[in-house]
Amino acid sequence: MSLRGLVKRFDTTVAVAGVDLDVPAGSFYGLLGPNGAGKTTTLSMAVGLLRPDFGEARVLGYDVWADPAAAKRLFGVLPDGVRLFDRLNGAELLAYHGLLRGMDPAVVNQRARELLDVLELGVHNKTLVVDYSAGMKKKIGLACALLHGPRLLVLDEPFEAVDPVSAALIRDILQRYVAGGGTVIFSSHVMEVVERLCTHVAILAGGRIRLHGTLAEVRGERSLEDVFVQVVGGRTATGSELAWL
Amino acid sequence: MAVSVTPATFVRLKLRLTVNGLRGQTWRVALFVLGILLAIGFAAGGYATFAVPGLLDDNRVAEMLLTLGGAAILLGWLFLPLIFFGVDESLDPARFALLPLRRHTLITGLFVASMAGVPAVATLVATLGMVDTAARIGGPAAGVAQAAGVLLGLFLCAAVSRAVTSAFATALRSRRARDLATVLLAAVAALLGPLQIAALAGAQHADWDRVADVARVVGWTPLGAAYSVGPDVAAGRWWAVPVKLLIVLVTLAGLLRWWSATLERAMLGTASTRTAAAGRTAAGREPVGRLVFRWLPANRFGALMSREIRYWWRESRRRASLITLAVVGVFLPVMLSITGGGAGAMLTFVGALAAISLANQFGFEGTAYAANVTAGVPGRIEVQSRTAAFSVYILPLLVLIAVVVSLTAGRPGAIAAQLGTLLASYGVGLAVVLPVSVLGAYALPDTANPFAMSSGGGMAKGLFTFGALIIAVVVTLPVTLAAYLLADVWLWIGLPVGAAYGAIAYFVGTRLTGDLLDRRMPELLAAITPHR
Repeated sequence: MSLRGLVKRFDTTVAVAGVDLDVPAGSFYGLLGPNGAGKTTTLSMAVGLLRPDFGEARVLGYDVWADPAAAKRLFGVLPDGVRLFDRLNGAELLAYHGLLRGMDPAVVNQRARELLDVLELGVHNKTLVVDYSAGMKKKIGLACALLHGPRLLVLDEPFEAVDPVSAALIRDILQRYVAGGGTVIFSSHVMEVVERLCTHVAILAGGRIRLHGTLAEVRGERSLEDVFVQVVGGRTATGSELAWL
Repeated sequence: MAVSVTPATFVRLKLRLTVNGLRGQTWRVALFVLGILLAIGFAAGGYATFAVPGLLDDNRVAEMLLTLGGAAILLGWLFLPLIFFGVDESLDPARFALLPLRRHTLITGLFVASMAGVPAVATLVATLGMVDTAARIGGPAAGVAQAAGVLLGLFLCAAVSRAVTSAFATALRSRRARDLATVLLAAVAALLGPLQIAALAGAQHADWDRVADVARVVGWTPLGAAYSVGPDVAAGRWWAVPVKLLIVLVTLAGLLRWWSATLERAMLGTASTRTAAAGRTAAGREPVGRLVFRWLPANRFGALMSREIRYWWRESRRRASLITLAVVGVFLPVMLSITGGGAGAMLTFVGALAAISLANQFGFEGTAYAANVTAGVPGRIEVQSRTAAFSVYILPLLVLIAVVVSLTAGRPGAIAAQLGTLLASYGVGLAVVLPVSVLGAYALPDTANPFAMSSGGGMAKGLFTFGALIIAVVVTLPVTLAAYLLADVWLWIGLPVGAAYGAIAYFVGTRLTGDLLDRRMPELLAAITPHR
C-alpha cells in the first residue's frame, strides 16, 4: 500500500496534513499515534471510506479512488468506531460479507464456519451482533475482514477493548497471516503490542508522519515508548506541578 | 469556592449547548430558523383561535374551546415527543450523575431549563389567547385567574413530557423491551389519527350540548382543569377556581416526584443487566442458508435483499415505521370512504406515503453502511435490493388497502383499479424519494433512548417527508385525473396502466439514484455518521 500526500480538512481543523507512507508487501506495519493524531482519518482515506481533499492511495498498484472496484477486492478492513450490521447474528453477518464480495456460497459457508469456530464465536450461536460484548464485536469484525482472503489487511485499533485471551488469539492469527505472505497495517497506541508484532513502524502526530521505518531503525537503542513520547513531544511530570495531589 | 448552583445555571448551560450545536452547520441553522418560524406560526394561530370566544363574547364557547383546546395541548406535550420529535436530550440527566448535586437542585434546574425552549415559549404565547378571552368575557378577575391557570398549565405540560419520557427511557433499559415498546407506541400513535377523524366525524353530527358536557367533565380532570378557570370565574363559579388550581398543583407535584424517582434510576445509566443469550443456538444450518431466504439467489443481490428484509423486522425504528404505515394506510382511506369523502385522492397519498419510509433509508443503519462501501457494492444493485426488500412488505399491504377500501365503499369491482392507482403513486413516490435518500441523508443518534432525535433531525424528517410527498402526489396527478375522467373504462385499464406508470417511474428513479450513489458513497457515509 502506498499513500501520497493525503490531506483531509474538517471545517476549520486539518485532521491529516499530507501523509506519505509506503507499506511494503509482506510487512507487519504499526501506525502509532496519540489520540486525535489522524490515524483513523488516514486509514479511512486509504480504504475508500473518506474522500481525501488531496493526494492518492494505491493498493498493490490500483488507485483506491480512481479504480475502487479493483482495489477494494484486494484488501479487508476492520474500521474502528463503525457499527456492523448488528441486527444479524454472527453467521448471517459473515455470509452477508462473503456474498457481498461476490464469493461462491459453498466457500463462504466453509470459511465462515471455520472463522466462527477459531474465534470462539460459536458456529450455531443465534445471538445478534448488537448483543455481543465489545471484544466479540472486534472478533466478528476481524472475521468479516478476513473472510474473502485479502492480500492486505487494514485494521483500525484491532486490540482495543479486547481481553488478553482474545488478543493473543488475534495476534496469532495475524502473525500466521503475515507468514503466509499477507500484509497487515494496523493502528494502535499500545506500544507493547506494536513492539512485539511489527516489522515496520510509523509515528503519526498532528496529521503528519513524524518518523517511519523498520522497527529497528525507529527504535534504535531505546525503547519504543521513549522514542514515541519524544517524537510526539509529550511532557513528563517533573514533580513540581500538581503538588496539591 | 462553593458557588451555589441555581436553576439559572442550567438555563445558561442549555442555551449554550443550543448555540454550540448550531455553530458552523448551515443546514442546522436553517432548520432551527424554520422551526422558530413554525413555532411563531403555531403561537400566533393558537393565540388567535383561543381569543375567538372572547371576541364573540360567548362564555359557553369559551368553556368548550379553552378546556378541550388546553387538554389537547397537554396531550400533545405527552405524545408528540414520544412519537414524532423525540426528546431534546441536550441536558441528559445521566451526565450529571457524577456531580455532587442534590436531587432537588437537579430537578428544579432541569425543569426550569426545559422551559427555556422553543416549544415551551410557543405554547405559552398560544395559550395567552385564553387569558385574552377570559378577560374580555369575565373582566380582569377572570383574566388573572386564567393567567394563573395558563402558567400552571405550561408547567404541567413540561412536567408531563419530562416525566413520561424519563420513565420510558428507564423502563426500556434492555434492548428487547425497547424494541417492543417502540412498536407498541407506534401502533398507539398511528391509531390516534383515525380516532381523531372519527371524533371529528362524530362532532359534525353530535349536538353541542354533548360536547359541552364532555368539556365540563374534562375541566375537572388534570387535563383541562388549568385552562378552564377563566370561564368559571366569568360564569360566577368562584369556588371552582381554588379547587381546580389545587388539582393542577397536586398533579404537578406528583409528576415531579415521579420524574425525580425515575431520574435517579436513569442516572445509574444503561450499563449492566445484560441477559446471557448464549443458550440460544440454531440448528445446524449453513451460514449462507441462515442469511439468504430460500427463494432468493445466494449472490450479492440476494444477500443485500435478505439483510434488508430482516432489518425491516429486527430494527425497532424500521418496524415501528412499518406498523405506523400499515395502520395509517388502511384506516385513513377507510375513514374517508365511510364518512362519505372520496378515497381516490387519499390512495395517491397513501402510496406516496409508503415510499417515504425510505427517505432516510441509509440513516437507519448508520455507519454499518461502511461495510457496503468497502465491499464496493454497485449503486444500482444497492438501491434495487433495498426497494425490493421494502416492497416485500409494502406490496401485500397495498393489495390489502385496495381490497378493504373498495369493499367499505361498496364497490368490489374497483379493487383492481384502486390497486393501479396505489401502484402508480408508490412507484412515483420511490422515484422521488430515492435521490432524496442519497442526497438528504442525515444521522440518527445512536443512543439508548429510541425517542432521541439529533437536534434538527425531527425537523429535517418532517420537511423531507412533506416535500417528497407533495412532489410525488403532483407527479401522480395524470393517473389520478385519468381515474376520475375515465371512470368506467378505468375500472378495466386502471391496474395495468397504473402499474406501468409506477414501474416506469421506479426504473428511471433507481437508474438515476444508482449512478448518483456510485459517485457519492463516501459523502453519504459521512452524512449518516453521527457527530461525536
